[in-house]
Amino acid sequence: MATDTAFSTSSGSKRTERIRLLVQPAVVVIGVAATLLWAFSRDLDDIEKNNINAESLLTDTWDHLKVSFVVIVLVVVIAVPLGVVLTRSWAKIAAPFFLAIATIGQAAPAIGVLVLFFLWSGWEGLWAAALPIALYSLLPVLRNTIVGLQQVDRTLVEAARGVGMSSPTVLFRIELPLAVPLILAGLRTSLVLAVGTATLAAFVNGGGLGLLIDAGYKLNRITILVVGAVLAMGLALLVDWLGAVAERFLRPRGLR
Amino acid sequence: MPDSSGRTHGSAVAVTIAGVAIVSIWEFIGQRWNVLVPEALLHASAVLQCTLIAAVLGVLLGVLVYRSPAGSAIATALTSAILTIPSFALIGLLIPVLGLGVPPTVVALVLYGLLPIVRNTIVGLDGVDPAITDAARGIGMGRAVVLTRVELRLAWPAILAGIRVSTQLLMGIAAIAAYAKGPGLGTEIFSGLVRAGSANATNEALAGTLGVVVLALVVDGIYVIISRLTTSRGIRV
Repeated sequence: MATDTAFSTSSGSKRTERIRLLVQPAVVVIGVAATLLWAFSRDLDDIEKNNINAESLLTDTWDHLKVSFVVIVLVVVIAVPLGVVLTRSWAKIAAPFFLAIATIGQAAPAIGVLVLFFLWSGWEGLWAAALPIALYSLLPVLRNTIVGLQQVDRTLVEAARGVGMSSPTVLFRIELPLAVPLILAGLRTSLVLAVGTATLAAFVNGGGLGLLIDAGYKLNRITILVVGAVLAMGLALLVDWLGAVAERFLRPRGLR
Repeated sequence: MPDSSGRTHGSAVAVTIAGVAIVSIWEFIGQRWNVLVPEALLHASAVLQCTLIAAVLGVLLGVLVYRSPAGSAIATALTSAILTIPSFALIGLLIPVLGLGVPPTVVALVLYGLLPIVRNTIVGLDGVDPAITDAARGIGMGRAVVLTRVELRLAWPAILAGIRVSTQLLMGIAAIAAYAKGPGLGTEIFSGLVRAGSANATNEALAGTLGVVVLALVVDGIYVIISRLTTSRGIRV
């Protein structure tokens, strides 16, 4: 276990992660099922029926996943190559600069970044939510890619060059595989940030489960609010769990 | 090339818009200074007070469980699961229970602040060399004295790092708490959102966002100083 110096939902201990791997999905299934049973067994009025029905719940969940998915694709496509470039010897000087920008960027509140992008661009919907959220969730993957590549033992790289590998081959067959565990850890953090921030997508007409929370609050219908909040929590815990599973099973076999 | 000229045109417009926004944001901040400063102070004070509560609770929790592997595992599992929950969902859920304003804000901020502190307390206390605690016991210190005079002091840099992460986290979450009428700069952001299209909407959102960034950076700087001043001389690097 190492000390935390940045946001992360990983508990950092193998023992705890094993507990969470088993307990977390069970808690999600039970919690979501209980909430849905409670909501549907209540005497719902028309407004509540409009918001809480199988179709709208699925639409909202699907919208939420869509935003999160686009975000995470953007994060991987931008942050990993950027991290690779920033660890090459010819671009190393720029690394602290980019990290500083990313760190300051993360000091900005997610809701502020989202609202500002919405007001500036005039866009709404999926991309108006996904672009700023991607920018906001970028840092963990970028930082971990850079750190992961930097910590690769130089003697391994030199040995690989010595047996005749070209530098792209060294990158893809030695450096990146060795950095995968850290990149995956960053990816899990980014995933959690993405799914969590996607609840705010509703404010820029991006849909998602935040829509239910907002509707429940504005229409003064606690049932809608609770269903939205519990579904959003369940989704976040489930995605965090998927991240933990990926961390465990996607790392190269030699490092397991 | 129509494509490239179109692009130039687009970026020229964007620059002008950005230019106008930059000029008037300072004017806006000047005009609204008397509102923005109290909001910033409320934001900072909410975050710092909640960090303090989270620090006290977190360190206590860490001290209670760090000797038991099962206890540590459960405490970190619970707190990290809480951290996973989207803050908007938790704040929304707290509204029917606690109403609007300060109560849901404080509860949400304290809960989110716990994990980094609990985790780093456990890690920090775990990392204390048993030889040192044995020696302390050997020269006649009691359990409580060993904890407060040796272990916690050696673990302090780790604990403080956790407190620092918590503060950074809470700065952003406090902005979302403005949705539940919580105090602070988030008010400006939501007000900008509601008035989208009107003259000062962007300025409001920008002032709120920049305010939080500035606060976060200033407070982070203060933590560097605190860490210099409060780390025991023997382990200062």
